[in-house]
Amino acid sequence: MMRKISYGLLAVAMAVTMVSCVNDDTDMDDIIAQYMVEPASIDLDYSDLAEVADVPVTDENDSAYNDYVENTTWNKVININYAGDAVTVTGSVPGVTLQADGAHVTVLNMSGPVKFVVSGATTDGSLKFYGDKRFQILLNGAEITNPHGAAINNQGSKSLYVVLADGTVNRLQDGETYAMVEDEDQKAAFFSEGQIIFSGRGELDVIAVGRGGIRSDDYIRVRPGARISVNSSALDGLRANDGIILDGGVVNIQTTGTGAKGVRSGGPMTVNGGRLVAISTGDTRLGVTDEGDADTTACAALYCDTLLTVHAGVLKLKATGDGGKGLNGKGNMDMRGGSMTVVATGTREIKKSKGVKLDGNLGITGGSFYTYSRLSDPLEVAGTMSVAPGYVTYDHEVRVITISYPGF
Amino acid sequence: MARSKRKQLISCLLALCAAFIPTSSLADDAGLVVSAEASHKFTKQLSAGFEVEFRSRNDFRTADRVSLGPSVTYKLLPWLKASADYNLLIDNNREDISYHEDESYNNWRPSYWGVRHRFNVSLTASHKIGRVEVSLRERWQYTYRPSRVIDNFDFDESMWEDHEVRGKGKNVLRSRLQLDWDIPKCKFDPFASVEFHTTRELEKTRFIVGVEHTIKKTHAFKAYYRYQLTGSSSDEPNIHLLGLGYTYKF
Repeated sequence: MMRKISYGLLAVAMAVTMVSCVNDDTDMDDIIAQYMVEPASIDLDYSDLAEVADVPVTDENDSAYNDYVENTTWNKVININYAGDAVTVTGSVPGVTLQADGAHVTVLNMSGPVKFVVSGATTDGSLKFYGDKRFQILLNGAEITNPHGAAINNQGSKSLYVVLADGTVNRLQDGETYAMVEDEDQKAAFFSEGQIIFSGRGELDVIAVGRGGIRSDDYIRVRPGARISVNSSALDGLRANDGIILDGGVVNIQTTGTGAKGVRSGGPMTVNGGRLVAISTGDTRLGVTDEGDADTTACAALYCDTLLTVHAGVLKLKATGDGGKGLNGKGNMDMRGGSMTVVATGTREIKKSKGVKLDGNLGITGGSFYTYSRLSDPLEVAGTMSVAPGYVTYDHEVRVITISYPGF
Repeated sequence: MARSKRKQLISCLLALCAAFIPTSSLADDAGLVVSAEASHKFTKQLSAGFEVEFRSRNDFRTADRVSLGPSVTYKLLPWLKASADYNLLIDNNREDISYHEDESYNNWRPSYWGVRHRFNVSLTASHKIGRVEVSLRERWQYTYRPSRVIDNFDFDESMWEDHEVRGKGKNVLRSRLQLDWDIPKCKFDPFASVEFHTTRELEKTRFIVGVEHTIKKTHAFKAYYRYQLTGSSSDEPNIHLLGLGYTYKF
């Protein structure tokens, strides 16, 4: 009897031992999968551009009327053709004087609207404009490198229409150091005090090694058909003090400098169409304030000081450096349509790398919105966030937020 | 008469169990301890043995530890014996999850199997009072954990990374007071004990009640219940353990 009991106990012990094979860890698979999710792929956009041409505003009272080069008659034409260290100028317009120092051309335009057709190539040249008259630059296969400053510098405050001749590839590059002129700005390889309106069906490539890529102290507008690429190893890629309007075209921006922004809009930015890809790979810049305090400036693929409105188009924003933001908005963001993909994959040694960081409010009523951050919040909204009903996808995970409406 | 004493004994054991149960909480764990030992008596004073033990946790569902090792015991005096033993401990270390202040995840180290080496030196003094033997055992226990690298998921970095568990040694003083009853004409000898594990603070307290059954002085079986209270600084939960042991003496 006793033996049977003993053997029974032993058998029970062996049986329990045999079944003790369950892992008692917390099931973390799904949670870790959320942290290890791979972001959407963002690369520069070299795909075909088959956009329908926009229809120029014809109402003279419309604030955008003057942004259309078609609304001006351009019968005053001057041709500027670069050839190495020399330049050939043909055509003359009363009130317009041109001076050439080697391939460095200075234009004083006291006339009305003048069209400058620029072509040829130089590795030590530039094109500089003075005068408060609106004018047009038709880039017709121009390649201008200025080792000492901006390749194109417009000191006038009126509209500058940059038309990219159909099928042409144009290239501008600045130098590492700028030879400054007193009381004059030159903040980028392509700098303008006034607004710049890009149109045409050609291509413009800007390489910035000293300062920014394209910069206006007013606003910048890009119309359908234009292909613009900026590669900046120094400061911001595309920057406008008073706002940016993207109606169409393809804009590829790549910046590698510390603290640099791919696209920076000091005023309202409106996206009505087109495709914008901005990739910022720089780390946070360490500096010192005037008071001697430590100061840090993080990179961002897109930095907007005020309202960002997206009606249509495609925005792809990626920041890969330490503390880099995909989108850093100081104001509100209003997403009504289009597609926005934001990815932040940077480390957070100095600052946190975030997908979208907004100091204002976020309202989403249409389109497709995706934001990802590898190490931090994919979305940080200091104000209120509202997502209108009607969405087909609203996924909020640890590292990814996806919201989309029908049709996207 | 014998039946009456047996009833008294069972009543005592049940009372002891009942006394411990209120101290346990719903979060307490439960497991099993199964051991098998072979021992040989070389002289009247000297004996040696080899023991293998298995433990489970997580309500008997998860293996917790396998240990094995030799021991040697020497009877210094009729009432005093000394022993020394070594154990190779193969532990299934529990997972470790840490959180940020905002309660978001910080790190997760999954459970892993690791090895430790344990050395015990003990002195046991015993005294019989009628049918009850009272014994006090003082044990110095040294355990060394070799360093090793294990996986750790860092939620802040969103990646698996290597985490080094540093090697370290630990000294514990274990004090055990045990009562053994010898009930006439009863083949089950009950026992009860309380043991304190002390480092710089009280780390564990073990309460044990059980019975031992010996067949022809060769085969010994024991079954017991152990309730283990852990100190406040430990991450381990309190645990109810059912123990089953077999000893073969030759």
